[in-house]
Amino acid sequence: MPDPQHTPGPPPRWWRAMLGDIQFWIPLAVLVGGLLLLRWVA
Amino acid sequence: MGGVGAATPIAPLRLKQLQAVGIFSGFAAGAWLGAAEAPTKVVTLGISPVTISLVMVLGVFLARWSLPALIRGTANLGLDVRRAPHLVVWALIAGCLWAVANTLTIFAIRDIGLSIAFPLWNTNSLLGILWGALLFNELRGAGRVRRLGVVGGAIVMFGGAVLLALASPTQAPGGDAVRGIAAALGAGALWGTMYIPYRKAYLTGMNPLSFVTFFTIGELAMMAGLAFAYLGGPAGTWTELGRARDVLFWLLLGGFVWVVGDLFQQYAAKYVGIGRGIPLSNTNQLWGLLWGILVFGELAGSSHGVYAQVVGGSIVMALGAAAIALSTAPGAEHLRWQDAARREAARYGVDLDYVAARLSGLDPDARRGRTARDWLIVAAATAVFVLFLAGAQAPQLEIDYAWAVGLTLAMLGLLGGCGVALWRVTRFG
Repeated sequence: MPDPQHTPGPPPRWWRAMLGDIQFWIPLAVLVGGLLLLRWVA
Repeated sequence: MGGVGAATPIAPLRLKQLQAVGIFSGFAAGAWLGAAEAPTKVVTLGISPVTISLVMVLGVFLARWSLPALIRGTANLGLDVRRAPHLVVWALIAGCLWAVANTLTIFAIRDIGLSIAFPLWNTNSLLGILWGALLFNELRGAGRVRRLGVVGGAIVMFGGAVLLALASPTQAPGGDAVRGIAAALGAGALWGTMYIPYRKAYLTGMNPLSFVTFFTIGELAMMAGLAFAYLGGPAGTWTELGRARDVLFWLLLGGFVWVVGDLFQQYAAKYVGIGRGIPLSNTNQLWGLLWGILVFGELAGSSHGVYAQVVGGSIVMALGAAAIALSTAPGAEHLRWQDAARREAARYGVDLDYVAARLSGLDPDARRGRTARDWLIVAAATAVFVLFLAGAQAPQLEIDYAWAVGLTLAMLGLLGGCGVALWRVTRFG
């Protein structure tokens, strides 16, 4: 049974740092582009 | 955590050793990555490109868990993750990028042929240089001559690639050339960007053998998703795998060989950066050509002009690679790398001393030796390969076995030589 008093803590520091890191979003954007290209090619 | 003072220059002799082993790794990567493309030749036998990519990724998965377990032991994985947990996410993204890129390359091979597709996706090196300079201080402080050596070398390599592409109308297998070229260039963009996570991991101190074990989970998950989407769900995928059962072993083997090359590529990315490491490992195109021409008779019946273009393009590529190999990073540039590493450490809260030690090729807290779990992983992976070998049939292709043996011996020589060098200098750190 989950504790009703329990509130989830803040996300770890590295998670927040990553989401604020432009270098995280560049590979993600390229990945989405690649999936779209694959859809066209296939 | 260490202080945030000025970076300490690495000893010149140590830097020289690390650069040399990184350059050597880049060339060894080229040989093994080039050979790994050879099994994809079976795509011409009517097997779906997605099936080929999926099976190769299964081989990659087996190798990415078994080889690190054999070389370093999995006990160190937990240590690396506790130090830099964010790198697990980066490794998963890189694995997804690899899987999509690899699938695109197989469509490219189907449409425009291996010899032409190779140089097109190897334009990833130009992108790698751009990301390396923009994001990780590569080539900063290198001096004009070295910068020219790297950028000029990569452009010369690209010129060689264009020469090879000019031969395309006479040897394309008859597929849709526009889609084939788009697929190959797209794969280059994905692979070029995949090196952002690589470099980030190594600047932050993760061991290449740890990085690849997480990388492969993203790779396998993405590839399974693609297979289900394009092959009609799990049932369709299973049917396709059944149709390809005679050649499953060769594709698994292709994935395994690729991982050996990729491990060397990881060490090259770590010790000479992505701006130099990617172009050097892109000498895989020359090895791919050797396999294509000598073993599979890919250009048989072509005119002398086509051969001249291919040989000329290959020589130009080799000259570009030589220029890069001679333009190693000097101490001033390495200091700028350390600046980038310290920025990463500060952003993600990683211990600075740990980052500095790992960037110098040291692995002070590593646990030596293998556990029973490691041997179990190695045994299970070996068993899978043996199982598929038992059901394998030789692909119905014209193969020159004498050249295949000769090229394999050359690859094994590079494996032994570079493996020993890496062990002596970094203990696979």
